[in-house]
Amino acid sequence: MIGFVGRRLLALVPVLFGVTLLVFLLTAVSLGDPVRAAMGQRGDPAVIAQIREDYGLDRPLWIQYGLWLGRLARGDLGRSYHQQRRVTEIVAERLPATVRLALAATGVAVALGIVAGILAAVRHGGFADVLVMTGALMGISTPVFWLGLMLILTFAVWLQWLPVSGYGDGAWRYLVLPACALGALHAGVIARMARASLLEVVRQDYVRAARAKGLREATVLVKHALRNAMLPVITVTGIGLADLLVGAPLTETVFAWPGLGRMLVAAVGQRDLPVVMAAVLLFAVIYLLGNLLVDLAYGAADPRLRV
Amino acid sequence: MRRLACTNPALPALCLLLVALLALPAAGQKHGGVFRGVFNSDPPILDPQFASDTTSSAVIHQLFDGLVELDEKLQVEPSLAEKWTISGDQKVYTFSLRRGVKFHNGREMKAADLKYSLERAARGKTPWVVEKILGAPDVIKGQGKEIRGIRVVNDYTLEITLERPFAPFLMLMAHDPSFVVPREEVERLGEKEFGSKPVGTGAFRFVSWRHDDQLVLEAFRDHFRGAPYLDRVVYRVIPDENTRFQEYKTGNLEVDDVPTGQLRAIRSDATLGKELSITPTLGVYALRFTMTQAPFKDNRKLRQALNYAIDKQAVADVILEGSVPPARGVLPPSMPGYNPELAGYPYDRARALKLLAEAGYPDGKGLPPITLYYNTSGLHKRIVELAQAQLRDLGLSIQVTALDWAAYLKLVEDGGTQWHRMGWLADYPDPENFLTVLFHSRNIGPPGNTSRYSNPEVDRLFDEADRLPAGPARLAKYRDAEKLIVEDAPWVFVYWYTSRLLQKPYVRGLEHSPMSASPELHKAPLRKVWLDR
Repeated sequence: MIGFVGRRLLALVPVLFGVTLLVFLLTAVSLGDPVRAAMGQRGDPAVIAQIREDYGLDRPLWIQYGLWLGRLARGDLGRSYHQQRRVTEIVAERLPATVRLALAATGVAVALGIVAGILAAVRHGGFADVLVMTGALMGISTPVFWLGLMLILTFAVWLQWLPVSGYGDGAWRYLVLPACALGALHAGVIARMARASLLEVVRQDYVRAARAKGLREATVLVKHALRNAMLPVITVTGIGLADLLVGAPLTETVFAWPGLGRMLVAAVGQRDLPVVMAAVLLFAVIYLLGNLLVDLAYGAADPRLRV
Repeated sequence: MRRLACTNPALPALCLLLVALLALPAAGQKHGGVFRGVFNSDPPILDPQFASDTTSSAVIHQLFDGLVELDEKLQVEPSLAEKWTISGDQKVYTFSLRRGVKFHNGREMKAADLKYSLERAARGKTPWVVEKILGAPDVIKGQGKEIRGIRVVNDYTLEITLERPFAPFLMLMAHDPSFVVPREEVERLGEKEFGSKPVGTGAFRFVSWRHDDQLVLEAFRDHFRGAPYLDRVVYRVIPDENTRFQEYKTGNLEVDDVPTGQLRAIRSDATLGKELSITPTLGVYALRFTMTQAPFKDNRKLRQALNYAIDKQAVADVILEGSVPPARGVLPPSMPGYNPELAGYPYDRARALKLLAEAGYPDGKGLPPITLYYNTSGLHKRIVELAQAQLRDLGLSIQVTALDWAAYLKLVEDGGTQWHRMGWLADYPDPENFLTVLFHSRNIGPPGNTSRYSNPEVDRLFDEADRLPAGPARLAKYRDAEKLIVEDAPWVFVYWYTSRLLQKPYVRGLEHSPMSASPELHKAPLRKVWLDR
């Protein structure tokens, strides 16, 4: 197992190198000038030239990239052109908010999705199935900004149970609405996957054999079918969690949530290359580690895969 | 002379009562409470010498002070300087500073701090604020550290000598980059970190800042004007306008801007209608031709034709819900030097067609497709699409292209567009800040003249106005220049800005200066605000 994890971690290095090089080149060749964007209108040409020199933007691209890699090796992600603060500080501030939101949204998605998926599979073809699948389709296809606004209107404005927006010193009340809005999308995906997978498993011979033994339907489902049916659900959930960890800019915007997604979108707009590079690097690591964790979870769920 | 004598036994008590009343704030002003303001984006940096955006400016104005300040009517008022004198040749300004002004770290502010701050501004992001001071251009170019036109006479007297007379100089001293910072704090925290933990002399001191979420200030009890009424100011960062509006409606914000398309509904709402105010601001929105690009180069009639062909009143009424006046020139109505007699280019289709024919393109024939650029935004999109539709009606083919701000600004400033939209909001209330910045040939490109307009006669009028003292003769020069500019039609003058603000009825003393735009209200001094509840 240790060898497997070590090999996978080692394989991340060339992937991360490729990702950063690609993002660096894309950002560098895209239209726009980070210094002018930071200066706004009425920029003084002398000041613009000075700042370009200070940040090394007047040097050839390959030198700029080399310098960035050199700083990265020393654990220095540089300074934001726009805020002039250390990028590590900027990312570290937003990471806890993003992790909290991603975990809460995944919790909502898994709880809702699995229960709904099982219900739909058990009542296959019935009214409950149609209802759950319609709900899942709506969850997947409803734009998150619209759903977010509806949740705000219902629970914050009319019922006044929860706050409208913000982080609120980390109080859980502030987390509920954004987690539900973000989790709804993934709940739909998980519900559909859980239903399809469970329907496939319950038709297999070993489940038929369990029923033939006279086991109760609930025992057959929970003890025999569900565990095997969960493998694709774990995949979807793991990738979904990685998706959420790399930020959910629309949800963060609607709920004024101070996460990484908003930070990255703003940095791209401002051509704030050090922030963009740091964010993409972090996201790539999260994504790759997310996939690794899914593989490990597979092993835990299905002992055959450990062989 | 009669002596006042207390002969009535009740008079001493009345005298005491009078003294006690005088010690209280006037007109029932109440101390205490939290003002909850809102921004649509996180302020990039809270350093007066290194910020150049209105969001940062809104906070900077509460944390720092300058030599002078502008009141709600845009008049220069004393601030750190109690008084000042100006020499006969209009070049030497001698400021007498208040004694006992303290920084938030407890140290007394002195003239040397102002000299340090103004020299720091020369190395900052907006050095044009100090460039008129004798010797400043050398420091801006990095050829020296001290500006020889700034002299510390003693701890409480500062003398500033200008290269040449410049009438709006005092207004520059009220602008953020001129605000005083304590040298020891900048050196202790570092040039780059000072903007994250700012220390000033302002009525509020910095408490905390969770980026993209909220920023907290608290009253500075030792402020030289006395403690402000409010205990705290909390700025929330809420990027979505609908979410901001819901926060305002549920009573979580004291002020807000008006969400797009909601103005009519708010006006007709019994409660919100009373909380709405629309204030003219010093800003202009235009579609700027690039004067060095075909087909607009050397073709004034074509530019005039397009001006007549676009219905500015429709833009104001339909897209901006009747909240702005259509522009008839460059200078907005609240700006000194505004010329109410300028007719501009009211919508006139027949005249547009006639001018189009005279320009060499009868019914638009022979005119190649023109690309109109704008930076990505719902409002800009609707305005350029309306212009596109109206010009199509004349037989003209207009393509519209959106770019994000960074890409857009570079393209526009490098003269890479045929036609582009651009707004301008005044840095200080003087026609020089509009006309000279936007139309003088020396400012072509990044300094402001993105239409690359060049007219020697206009340049001459600007240079003459620069040398004149404030007064009618100077304003007359700007009026003449503006008239020539409008005749040359380097822009389609679309509308003058207004600020649409929602404000809770218990918020008192909040200034609606023409220099402030909602929701930031970046020039409004919150030290004057109190909550009547």
